[in-house]
Amino acid sequence: MASFVLGCDIGGTFTDIVLHGDGSVRTLKVSSTPDDYSRAILVALTEIRETFGVNPRDIEAVVHATTVATNTILEHKGAKTALITTEGFRDVLEMRRLRIPVMYDLQYDKPAPLVPRRLRFELTERLGARGEIKTALDERQARVIARRLLEEGVESVAVCLLHSYVNAGHEQRTGQILREELGEKTYVSLSSDILPEIREYERTSTAVVNAYIGPIVKHYVSALSSQLKAAGVNGPLHIMQSNGGTMSAAAAAQKPAFLVESGPAAGVIACARVARSAGLGNVISFDMGGTTAKAAMIENGEPARTTEYEVGAGINVSSKLVKGGGYAIKLPFIDVSEIGAGGGSIVSIDAAGSIKVGPRSAGAIPGPACYGLGGTEPTFTDAAVVLGYVNPGYLVGGKVRIDAQLSRDAMQFKVAAPLGLGLLEAAHGVYRIAVATMTRAVKAVSTYRGRDPRDFALVAFGGNGPVVAVAIARELRMRRVLIPPVPGVFSAAGLLFSNVEHTQQRSVLRRTTELSAEHLIAAFEQLEMQVRDEMRKEGIAASRIGIKRLADLRYTGQAFELSIPVPDNTDVAALEAAFHAEHTRTYGHSSDGDPVDLINIRVVASAAPPSTDGLVEGLRDAASNRAKTTFRNAYFGAALGSFETPVIVRAELSGRRMHGPLIVEEVDATCIIPPGCSAELDPHGNILIDAGEQ
Amino acid sequence: MTSTETGIDPITLEIVKNALSSVADEMALVLMRSAYSPVVRDSMDYSTALCDHEGAVIAQGLTLAVQLGAFPDAMFHLKQQYAGRMQPGDIFIMNDPYGAGGQHLPDIYVIKPLFWNGGIEGYACTMAHHSDVGGIAPGSVAIHATDIYQEGLRLPMLKLYEAGKANDTLFQIIEKNTRQPVQVMGDLRAQLAACAVAERGYFELLKRYGGRAVRPYLEAIMDQAERMMREFIRGIPDGAYRFDDWIDGLGESPEVLKIAVCVTVRGDEVDVDFTGTSAQVQGAINCPIAMVRSCSYCAIRCVTSPDIPNCDGYMRPLHVTAPQGTILSPVLPAACAARGVMGYRVFDAIMGALAQVLPERVIAAGEGGPTLFAAGGYHQGKPFVLTEVMVGTWGARAGKDGVEGISNPAANLSNQPVELIEAELPLEVVRYGMVQDSGGAGEHRGGLAFVREFRLLADEAVFTTRADRRDHPPYGFDGGHPGGASRNTLISGTRERVLPTMPMEALKWKAGDVFRHVSAGGGGFGDALVRHPAQVLADVLDEKVSSTAAHRLYGVVIEGNRVDETATRELRERYRAKARAT
Repeated sequence: MASFVLGCDIGGTFTDIVLHGDGSVRTLKVSSTPDDYSRAILVALTEIRETFGVNPRDIEAVVHATTVATNTILEHKGAKTALITTEGFRDVLEMRRLRIPVMYDLQYDKPAPLVPRRLRFELTERLGARGEIKTALDERQARVIARRLLEEGVESVAVCLLHSYVNAGHEQRTGQILREELGEKTYVSLSSDILPEIREYERTSTAVVNAYIGPIVKHYVSALSSQLKAAGVNGPLHIMQSNGGTMSAAAAAQKPAFLVESGPAAGVIACARVARSAGLGNVISFDMGGTTAKAAMIENGEPARTTEYEVGAGINVSSKLVKGGGYAIKLPFIDVSEIGAGGGSIVSIDAAGSIKVGPRSAGAIPGPACYGLGGTEPTFTDAAVVLGYVNPGYLVGGKVRIDAQLSRDAMQFKVAAPLGLGLLEAAHGVYRIAVATMTRAVKAVSTYRGRDPRDFALVAFGGNGPVVAVAIARELRMRRVLIPPVPGVFSAAGLLFSNVEHTQQRSVLRRTTELSAEHLIAAFEQLEMQVRDEMRKEGIAASRIGIKRLADLRYTGQAFELSIPVPDNTDVAALEAAFHAEHTRTYGHSSDGDPVDLINIRVVASAAPPSTDGLVEGLRDAASNRAKTTFRNAYFGAALGSFETPVIVRAELSGRRMHGPLIVEEVDATCIIPPGCSAELDPHGNILIDAGEQ
Repeated sequence: MTSTETGIDPITLEIVKNALSSVADEMALVLMRSAYSPVVRDSMDYSTALCDHEGAVIAQGLTLAVQLGAFPDAMFHLKQQYAGRMQPGDIFIMNDPYGAGGQHLPDIYVIKPLFWNGGIEGYACTMAHHSDVGGIAPGSVAIHATDIYQEGLRLPMLKLYEAGKANDTLFQIIEKNTRQPVQVMGDLRAQLAACAVAERGYFELLKRYGGRAVRPYLEAIMDQAERMMREFIRGIPDGAYRFDDWIDGLGESPEVLKIAVCVTVRGDEVDVDFTGTSAQVQGAINCPIAMVRSCSYCAIRCVTSPDIPNCDGYMRPLHVTAPQGTILSPVLPAACAARGVMGYRVFDAIMGALAQVLPERVIAAGEGGPTLFAAGGYHQGKPFVLTEVMVGTWGARAGKDGVEGISNPAANLSNQPVELIEAELPLEVVRYGMVQDSGGAGEHRGGLAFVREFRLLADEAVFTTRADRRDHPPYGFDGGHPGGASRNTLISGTRERVLPTMPMEALKWKAGDVFRHVSAGGGGFGDALVRHPAQVLADVLDEKVSSTAAHRLYGVVIEGNRVDETATRELRERYRAKARAT
């Protein structure tokens, strides 16, 4: 009897399913069910049984990317949450870092704190920066606060005390008291458990986010687990984290703040694996869906990571210069740069007479004008329809019918006429501006980090990624573009590639000259024990666990660290040298004589999924190859004009190089290969495009 | 605008604009992330910009609003002194407010001309507030300096690099004239790195659009900004709008200083004239005209559309003047290290003037700009310096409350994490939070003030400080009450000594003593007696407003967790009758 692994990525519009086993890969797109997202999974299970003849009993694991954590915050539907702080610091959460992401806007309002002031309580206790006790914990007061929380009907409580990253004693004791007084019903989140790192605002905010979404995520994963069981699935449920690793449902309920960028991370992992099989170590992943576009950098096969993230900040450009628009979570994330430009992004003209694409989105309803659901504002998809890039009659393999005339009308009245442009010229302008906006997202993960995009290949997926991929590559003079198979459900495939992963970190805060190798090794070993323990709880054999050690360093006085991998036989001098080199690479300068501080150390334990054999090949064979070649008039800008362009299926590119213009139309995505480019299929079913000399 | 009218393709224009601001942002990012000093990395008191071939600002990184106009004066002096004498690989440095376009000595400018095919096609500009450039007190922002010679190292416009070769003499002079050589040299390197990033990014753009062929697009961006600004000004009724604002004054027995502004709207131009402003003083709060212009542009920009491109173009219809020898246009040898307060007051004064014609677009006075607190001493044989730039609250707007826990609208400053301060310096931060009842009452409440307290753990230190808005608290509009007054206190055991808002000396700080800064609160907007009782109740439950103040200022009677509607109606009626009677 064959066994299967199910990857399931839930988005706002569609729930994407990839099923692997039996030597093949099957994909499925079902409508999402926003009232209860888990329902779509059950719908998919039925469809899997009926269409593919696969019995849920034979599914040995489900790996899930969820938006429940993010949506809870965006929609302000979290638990009634309280916060306990050190005396004198009740307002750290609300004061934030003061800075805001806009200038010259006197009408700006900050995001409301997730815990209102009335539910923020001060506790008498105080630690110094070295963890020394300056004022003992007032346990009696902690109990008084706990009883007050009961009276207030608080469902969840976060605790963040000053300097708990170096001495967690007061926080842990407070946690015990809270559990004694409040029982199991109330969710408790301690900052020293979730993020033992220096900087009180970021740590408080992370603990508060964790508390705010905790009860909701806990309920979601336990409900989903039992629904899966009821449907006959006996295998465990794993949840994707923002760092590209997975963890068990039970761990997810404890550390929900780790799940916030679950979906985007899955796409990057898929990208890294497919690129590796294609012999590419350095790639930039580019995922464009209905509402946003996301870019990430993969270097030597490893996605770049960050610990700076804000949820609910609207767009989230990597290496964000200006924060403050959302809720800070300082946990490991794949460094995904996200901007509000997708297929449904609305095209508008601002006060300066400039065309803007997004960040407002027409969503699934009314959607782009061409959907005929009442949308009159043109969207990116409408521009693509006008240009002849996407099918004028239907999208998603016929699941969505469209009317191209509605696209033309919207573009004519809202863009072309006001700007005195021709219809095609206007649509192409929208396309170019969208490309310019998205190019900025790609630059944010490459040039902003001192990397030259020309050293990378662009891997594009998502329903709209392949529509713009070559245009973005050309902006950045990237020569090679790769479009993987099943681009529209590619992120879900990433779930099947993902390792089980746990991370532990701690602050060190020492000058490197004060460090001994023995001390460092001991510290790493202690963290390693902790992560191994977490892995063991997931039932993973010690022999399968891989360990990675990382150190965050900076020059004394700097505020931002660079993360450096640490080899097993830790040598402080080698660590310093690696830091100087990375500083030069990222910022273009270093200062070998200046003192260096070691801020945090981190240990990541990971275990590969039991079998990904045949997964890459399975994806290749899952690519749809129906339909036969037709022709469509497509416009490529004033310099090139219009072409009667062949519309082909992916398989046509097998074993031969074809020259643009070409349109590769698939069930879940459309790939545009403009004039001057050529494309062929590699042995893994990837479309390799040569974007030409620039 | 259409493509046929100007010969400029609007699509390419938008793309060029996008690319330029991307370069300026990348500069800002590199500078911030690789800088060493807390002022740059956490307070973000720095600025980056890209200028066109004529030295006009064409794009600016999103950093500090009041620095928007910081570069035009610097560029003017650079061109005036070095026209025809710049060569590829030159990098300029400057901080002098007298004759070089600087603002005060800690703000060091690094400017690199960008050569393309043998000619200058643009400039990369950075400015960063350095943690120390010498002078009579650590931090180099001492208010008690009486002339600029006491404020530290003066750098006229000089070549830090000549034809790609570092000027070692100059580097050494700078290094030997600061109490914080590692931080200052590190921050300078960060500024140089930002210039290098700008060069790369700008050259990419020039390559793509054919070098000089990009110029018409840059000019079009300027024109677009200018056109939008003129259009906006035409919508304001012509007239002269005056407003006086006040600075508490220097020392133990302060003499109040006046900022008098007259904003004259005539057609599509605006004159901002500060005639009537007090004469320059013997203290470091004199504000060089470069910053006065910068703050005036910023204030006017804030009441227009945020879509206006960030470039010189929109400044063309704005004319800012102040009589020489006043606190807003001081002449040598006026000290100016702590001049920031004037800039923020310029912003507030212009808001006051514009409130007469654009009430729905202005903001009531906020905390008054950053309070400076610079402390230094020796601990266990090593020197330490703390530079704090404390901001925190907005006044109310016509349609909504002020915002608390936010940077002044004319700045975009951040706070320093308490844990980092304590980990690095012999200081304890005792308290940091909001102050009840400090927001000006009104239909829309002003933002709350904040309190920040430091205890010295070293044996001894000295500090300088500069606050304001104690004798003249932030005003409200349209009947809104003023915000709470600021207050600096030095606490020694049970003894509390209230400090002058602008003490004219470096003060001794003893082990265990606490310096407490309470900022001013934001002004209110509209009649407090019409504020929705539910909003007052929410404020009371959040302990942002006390129930006593709810009763006394808002006429809202709160019983337990509820509003007593009847009692509230009666109380408000009584207050109104009393007001009518007087």
